[in-house]
Amino acid sequence: MTDLRTEEFDINMGPHHPSTHGVCRLLLTMDGEKVVKVVPYIGYLHRAIEKICENRTYAMCIPILDRFEYVTAMSCNYVFSLAAERLSGIEVPERAEYLRVIMLELNRIASHLIFFGTTAMDIGALTPFLYALREREYIMDLFEMTCGQRLTYNYIRVGGVSKDIPEKFIPQCKVTISTITEKVEEYKRLLNKNPIWKMRTIGIGKLDADLAIAYGVSGPILRASGIDYDLRRDDPYSIYDRFDFNIPVYHNGDVFDRYMLRLDEIQESCKIVAQALEGIEEGPIRAKVSPNFKPAAGETYTRIENSRG
Amino acid sequence: MLGYIKGLVELVKGLGITGKHLGKHAVTLQYPEEKDIMPERSRGVVVLLSDKEDGSLNCTACELCMRACPTAAIRIIAPRGEDKKKKLELFELDFSLCCYCGLCEEACNFSALKLTGKYEYSTGNKDDLLWDVNKLQDVGRDVDYVDKRKKKVKKVAPKPTETVDSKPKSDEIKTDKIETKPSATENKTDKIETTKPVDEKPKSEGEA
Repeated sequence: MTDLRTEEFDINMGPHHPSTHGVCRLLLTMDGEKVVKVVPYIGYLHRAIEKICENRTYAMCIPILDRFEYVTAMSCNYVFSLAAERLSGIEVPERAEYLRVIMLELNRIASHLIFFGTTAMDIGALTPFLYALREREYIMDLFEMTCGQRLTYNYIRVGGVSKDIPEKFIPQCKVTISTITEKVEEYKRLLNKNPIWKMRTIGIGKLDADLAIAYGVSGPILRASGIDYDLRRDDPYSIYDRFDFNIPVYHNGDVFDRYMLRLDEIQESCKIVAQALEGIEEGPIRAKVSPNFKPAAGETYTRIENSRG
Repeated sequence: MLGYIKGLVELVKGLGITGKHLGKHAVTLQYPEEKDIMPERSRGVVVLLSDKEDGSLNCTACELCMRACPTAAIRIIAPRGEDKKKKLELFELDFSLCCYCGLCEEACNFSALKLTGKYEYSTGNKDDLLWDVNKLQDVGRDVDYVDKRKKKVKKVAPKPTETVDSKPKSDEIKTDKIETKPSATENKTDKIETTKPVDEKPKSEGEA
């Protein structure tokens, strides 16, 4: 029997539609089923937002920045507002800081729930997706009640927040927090020991600490690789230094650890929101800032702990 | 072998958790038949509000919403008449551009427009998304709102108060900057001064 003649061949993977996760085009060189070489083409999500923002006022930029990342738009609002405030030295009222922390943490929970649901769905378990989106809906209701939108909030503004929370927000938020804390336990019972889930996550997509740093990975993925670094504690912004919360760290750096870390983070975020709801007091929600506000020319650098790193 | 049995047990446990939801009510709604109640602050369709008494438009054609809009969805043409008052000639809102940020509503001092909880206005024809003043007003007729306007006698009053407010603001910001940067070089102070005309912008708008 003579050997079959084999040769390498190229496959184009992507680009996918912008609404799918992680849009990029991969040019794969294959040897049978083995990938020999990958050439990634990135930049499909570049929408020239910086350029669009150039000829707009600071207030106008915020709704556009919402579209940076629609799963946690609050963070995009916040990091921009924080930069503008640092540039011009605006003091943010106490109540606004509390509201910001509540919203940021709720948004972090919502984002992690999306991670949990979609990861499980992609692996083949549909139920967690339905459960996660059900719980996320409670958070979306809170946002909708407060600012009127479910994804693109335009809520955190330069100098504070746009609207005060309605009366029924605090009781409803407390209920939401306790339900989510309970439900996370249920998620863990549902998946942690499931043999299919374990086979498909443990040891998969390993990223050890050195590699994670070399790639410039941040956020939950970095912490799942064993590096204890969280900006909420290590470079506190807003009023995070007033709250008591843990920062979960896992060491294997595989998909399973990232999943566990995010579930733990949901519970920690619930703690922060509960403390913030206790500590919040009446007061103004926005410093006096003109709508056409423009800070002095200068440079600043702000960084916050986003839920996706 | 033991591993398989353990795995099976865990699978059954997982099925037990999903099984608990069997008898429960669905959390979803059967959309076209059942509809959720939209919260009061919902940011849906933008409408033009009419006066509660005589039904005329609240809009004074000050163009503040047009200037606040980040996507330039609002188009207003309002030339000054012979009595030097602005007269609304054209008000168009392009919903294919609108991003529902709500900045127009915040900019408006006369309760002239509002983002409502209405939805379901999708269309197969893009041109239908360009709403003119009549359509915007008709959709907004049944919308309840809090009238921000001062009474007609004091109609001139809000303008000067605005400009008074904006002056100390810009002054405060400037002094803050200088305080926070005691080592500011001459160049920097120059830059701060150059921002003055920008700060003055809202004043001129207020006067207009």
